[in-house]
Amino acid sequence: MGTCFYLAHASGLSYLPNQGIPMLSKSQARIFFLGGTGVFTAIFLALTWDSMRQIPKLTNDDKITPEVARGKELWEANNCMGCHTLFGEGAYYAPELTKVVERRGKPWIKLFIQDPQKMFPGERKMVKYNFDGRQIDDLIAFLEWCGEVDLQGFPPKPPLQNQLKPTATTSDLSGPPAPELFKTICQACHMVGGVGGVIGPALDEVHKRKSKEELLEWIADPQRLKPGSAMPQIDMTPEQREEIVTWLLGLSNTSPRPAGQLKPISQPEIYE
Amino acid sequence: MKFRSQRVAYWFFASALALLVLQIVYGFIMGFARVGLDGLHEWIPFNTARAVHTNLLVVWLLCGFMGSAYFIIPEEANRELAWPRLAYVQLISLLVVGVIAVGCYHFNIWEGRKFLEIPRPLDWLVVANVLLFIGNIGMTLWRGRQHTTTSMVLFMGLLFAALLYLPGMISVKNQTVDSFYRWWVVHLWVEGVWELIMGGILCYLLIKLTGVDREVVEKWLYLIVGLTFLSGILGTGHHYYYIGAPRYWLWVGGVFSALEPLAFLGMAMAALATARKGGRKHPNRIALTWSLGCAIMAFVGAGFLGMAHTLPQVNLYTHGTLVTAMHGHLAFWGAYAMIVLAMMAYSLPLMTGRRLWDTPMATWAFWTSNIGMVGMTGALAVAGITQVALERRLGLDFLVVQKEIEMHFVGLLLAAALFSTGIVMFIITFFRHGLPSDEALTPGVSGEPDEPLVAGL
Repeated sequence: MGTCFYLAHASGLSYLPNQGIPMLSKSQARIFFLGGTGVFTAIFLALTWDSMRQIPKLTNDDKITPEVARGKELWEANNCMGCHTLFGEGAYYAPELTKVVERRGKPWIKLFIQDPQKMFPGERKMVKYNFDGRQIDDLIAFLEWCGEVDLQGFPPKPPLQNQLKPTATTSDLSGPPAPELFKTICQACHMVGGVGGVIGPALDEVHKRKSKEELLEWIADPQRLKPGSAMPQIDMTPEQREEIVTWLLGLSNTSPRPAGQLKPISQPEIYE
Repeated sequence: MKFRSQRVAYWFFASALALLVLQIVYGFIMGFARVGLDGLHEWIPFNTARAVHTNLLVVWLLCGFMGSAYFIIPEEANRELAWPRLAYVQLISLLVVGVIAVGCYHFNIWEGRKFLEIPRPLDWLVVANVLLFIGNIGMTLWRGRQHTTTSMVLFMGLLFAALLYLPGMISVKNQTVDSFYRWWVVHLWVEGVWELIMGGILCYLLIKLTGVDREVVEKWLYLIVGLTFLSGILGTGHHYYYIGAPRYWLWVGGVFSALEPLAFLGMAMAALATARKGGRKHPNRIALTWSLGCAIMAFVGAGFLGMAHTLPQVNLYTHGTLVTAMHGHLAFWGAYAMIVLAMMAYSLPLMTGRRLWDTPMATWAFWTSNIGMVGMTGALAVAGITQVALERRLGLDFLVVQKEIEMHFVGLLLAAALFSTGIVMFIITFFRHGLPSDEALTPGVSGEPDEPLVAGL
């Protein structure tokens, strides 16, 4: 108390009792403001200096190639953060893209950017930017670099995911390996053998529902057979379609895996 | 109104309201897009609507802060504004830069960093504009006969807001470094120097409206802005958790963010205490309602809801979800929109000489807009929490979850309609005051409660 009086008088301002905050004069409040601001600004600048020292290692600064730098410029020149988030920063209208290369794979992303609405017909729209091949490569290089940055555990692995039981029946996939195109594009939405997305139906037992001809016709132009379907028309040669359909129908020869030995669905790969 | 040049504020306030209307229109475009009504996608895609929505918010608030400063500073410095004509030039150039920036967004021309979307060449025009403003205000204070704490805090807030714009103009190749300095602008504005501006304006309003002794209110002001910087500077750390910065920011950001509500709590307590002690002598009750409402909503929106998701363990899951949008809406409304509207409600009768503070519409405007904004915050909260649970905790696909929460955006739109009704009523009241008039000039009278408010009253 004595100190308070002393400081108040020493600073030339009188102590005002019973007005607002007892025990504190205006000049002491000013000292609190100026002193506190000074101290915490100094600490903040010191931590900034240390962060700048550590960030090159945490972010693999040496891996920022000209492609990555050009990709970042493209990312900004089109305000991608106006819909997407990156490192969790941006808008919340479109998916988080920090680990997108790991999650979707490069072939899928390339196909998607060329015509986003074709990949998700009838869904929320993304602008078709008409990037050329090099620009798409740059953008992917940038996103790939982002995916390698040490983000202190972000994005987190969904902690409750193991509580979900896959509803799809599964194949043990002991037959011939899946065609490359199926693994990179189709499996983003469809599950086979417990691996893949959940947007479209699981395809393990598609042989029970569809004939080869029906499947070929369907894949060639889904919107014609079922307008408004979420299934996109993917550009493929007739040979590629044939290869995928033949492989899918071949799944009928494999025996179902007992339910207790399910492989986790694809999402854990996404987030880890 | 004591000085003729204070009327500049009227035009800043009118422009601010026009920009607010435009901001709301673009908000509706986004709201409708979220429920699937995206017919404007070809011309105004979501990223354009969003950038216009957030940038207009910043511009209209700055416009309101500048108007407030042009009204407050002459009175606090006890002299006419140094260069009244320059203030008009500055307003027009600010609006021109704003319109060009918004135009650019519709043609896909960007700097393209969250909140700092305006194309880089325009950054320099913003800097020049703000320098004109700071120069005008600074010269008025310099030549003035008195330097009050209120005016100095307000001036320092405006000056540092201008200085902190500069780190945001740095261009770097590393996304993490880019983001690190981007927050120097965004965070240190809204959770730092803008609180100085808000505190300064609130302090001025409380002195004028409650009649409590200036020394007491200004002591509170020092404590509040002291707490703001004590918590807010290192609180920047809550933006550094998950962007590639060192791990200690989780500790630093977590601890100091938890302290951030203290400044807002202090502000709410000081406002309520002074209002009670002062006995509300001033007849402009609606201005006091807006001032107290501002202090309380700032604590709820910026303080409490902010703290609710800055804890690193919580933020790990809420980071980058609609929970942020929930906090953002009530924080900006409570802390910054309401203080500008409070300043308008206080100063308009003094500039125009018309006392419309008791009209039912002025009261309804306050309650309707506030209930609407609380409703919007609630809708975003439910949508955000559901998104966190389904996408971040259960691992469901982004688009699947977005479909699941679509209904909450219908709720958001309904609440937004209520909010907009309140704003329309505020604007009608604003224009019913008419234009600033020389008859409202009261030389030697500052409008404090014990003095006549308007000449001849």
